[in-house]
Amino acid sequence: MRTIAAALAATLLGAVPLAGAAAPVADKIAPLPPYVAAYQPTNVDERGAWMMADEYERHLRDSPEVIRDPALNAYVRGVLCRTVGDDRCKGVRLYILHIPAFNASMTANGAMTIWSGALLRLRSEAELGAVLGHEFGHFELRHTVEGFRNQRRGTDVMAWASVLMTNSAALQVGVLGSLYRFDRGQEQAADMLGVRYLAGSGYPAAAAADVWERMMSEADATAIGRHRKADQRYTAGFFATHPTELSRATYLRAFASGVDGGGSAEGVRYREALAPWLPMLLTDQIKRNDFGGSEYLLGRLAADGWTTPLLFARGELYRERGNPRDLVNAAEFYEQAIERGDAPPEAQRGLGLALLRGQQTDAGKAALREYLRRKPDAADASIISTLVAS
Amino acid sequence: MSAYRFAAAALLFATPAMAGNKLIVPGERIAVAKSPLTVQPTSEWNRLGARRGRNAETWTIDGDSLNDLTFYGGIETGKPLFREANKRSKPLPTVGATMLVTDIPVLFENTYRIALGTATMTVGTIEPVTFAGAKGVRFTYDFVREDETLHRRGEARGAFVGGRLYLVTYEAPALHYYDRSVAAARQVAESARL
Repeated sequence: MRTIAAALAATLLGAVPLAGAAAPVADKIAPLPPYVAAYQPTNVDERGAWMMADEYERHLRDSPEVIRDPALNAYVRGVLCRTVGDDRCKGVRLYILHIPAFNASMTANGAMTIWSGALLRLRSEAELGAVLGHEFGHFELRHTVEGFRNQRRGTDVMAWASVLMTNSAALQVGVLGSLYRFDRGQEQAADMLGVRYLAGSGYPAAAAADVWERMMSEADATAIGRHRKADQRYTAGFFATHPTELSRATYLRAFASGVDGGGSAEGVRYREALAPWLPMLLTDQIKRNDFGGSEYLLGRLAADGWTTPLLFARGELYRERGNPRDLVNAAEFYEQAIERGDAPPEAQRGLGLALLRGQQTDAGKAALREYLRRKPDAADASIISTLVAS
Repeated sequence: MSAYRFAAAALLFATPAMAGNKLIVPGERIAVAKSPLTVQPTSEWNRLGARRGRNAETWTIDGDSLNDLTFYGGIETGKPLFREANKRSKPLPTVGATMLVTDIPVLFENTYRIALGTATMTVGTIEPVTFAGAKGVRFTYDFVREDETLHRRGEARGAFVGGRLYLVTYEAPALHYYDRSVAAARQVAESARL
């Protein structure tokens, strides 16, 4: 529901979503075009798109989905400003949305959103900059208005076709196809502008390609976890609004190889800034009922070793799937988290419940008693007490 | 593009052929959710013809977006709470054979998060309770639907009986409506019997 509703809303609002991205490789990096601030809509199409975007932004003002923490907002904005430059980032209003999927968008009037699921999946400031720069690229190239115009033209043609011809199915297919191709062209253009921002920012330009390669792997892992064939398509279909991740990764990698070294990706700084948010982001991910994708993601996040929040999240993931073998694994992960000494009381709770479900009653009750000792005023203290007493 | 997606969205929200809504007369004990679960309301309710799933049934006073009392009657192992809108890309969690009562709020929370597309869904207090004569659980929850700003509050009671999940939920906007009909909803939920 989320993707379709969001895509529909995004289309209506003239926002250009990021998901899924391919572009021609530039021979050398052209200088960035001069930036014009305080641009105003000039014609009826643009004014309409801006009005809808303003309305969307008013909705964001009251939306409980917006994460308003000043420190996190300042950090993400800092990365945007370093990527696209201070003069470009000044007019952007940035909203971090609490939605556990990978996406970002930008409306015609300069409101940028990034979803919390993207923050969990990115690994460095360079990657975050790549995503934000891509979205800013759409804005700078005024794709939202172009897309709106092209779409209006397309739907006008279809409306007339259905009146004039009894069987206009073939024309409808043709017109629809051109709309989607147009979107793919825009995505490529934004990708290439995004990577140029990155090249000028001191972040390594290869970061953009890394993002798309990991997205492909995660989609494959999700499919396999759901007992489906990994259906990652390696060519864009007729209806695809975005280039495939593979073609995106390929042309971005080719472009980056032509750019000199670049500075540090600032992976450590990124992890430190996101650390206070990691437990919430992981909990959101575990609750998506996507075992394969979550397991893949945890594995990538643990590339430098399993930390306490990652072990705890993995325990929760396995316990929620709850096959007998999963419960054994879950108990092991909770125990590893507890051994590290800085696990939250909920690790004892998870351990106790996993053991109880796995018929290890005494050990399970002992862990639950430890949870109650450490968190006597927990919201579920009374139900856990009855499990211990039963 | 938008027309294509709009059609897809419209299909998502489409409800199956309705059997019609019906007034529930107070004082009679009646079976709900096509299951052995029975309740005895002491006030008037309206049963909606539209069902969220095979073994689900919704009652309301002012309309289901203002007060919604839903019964889930005997969900089997391996089945989700609702009819799945998109089984391929958004499968719902299912009832597990070894689930404990503490897994009921988790199953419910995850189902709502996926089906309603909102990460704002949270479970509050979880307490032991006798439900339909079995050892069960009572929990509160809060959420805001996708693209809305209206805060909704809920309260649920559930238990596993004979390996099947029985659950009664009541939810309404926190503003005014929740408090107005919570007593009537609790009375119905507490009258549940198997």
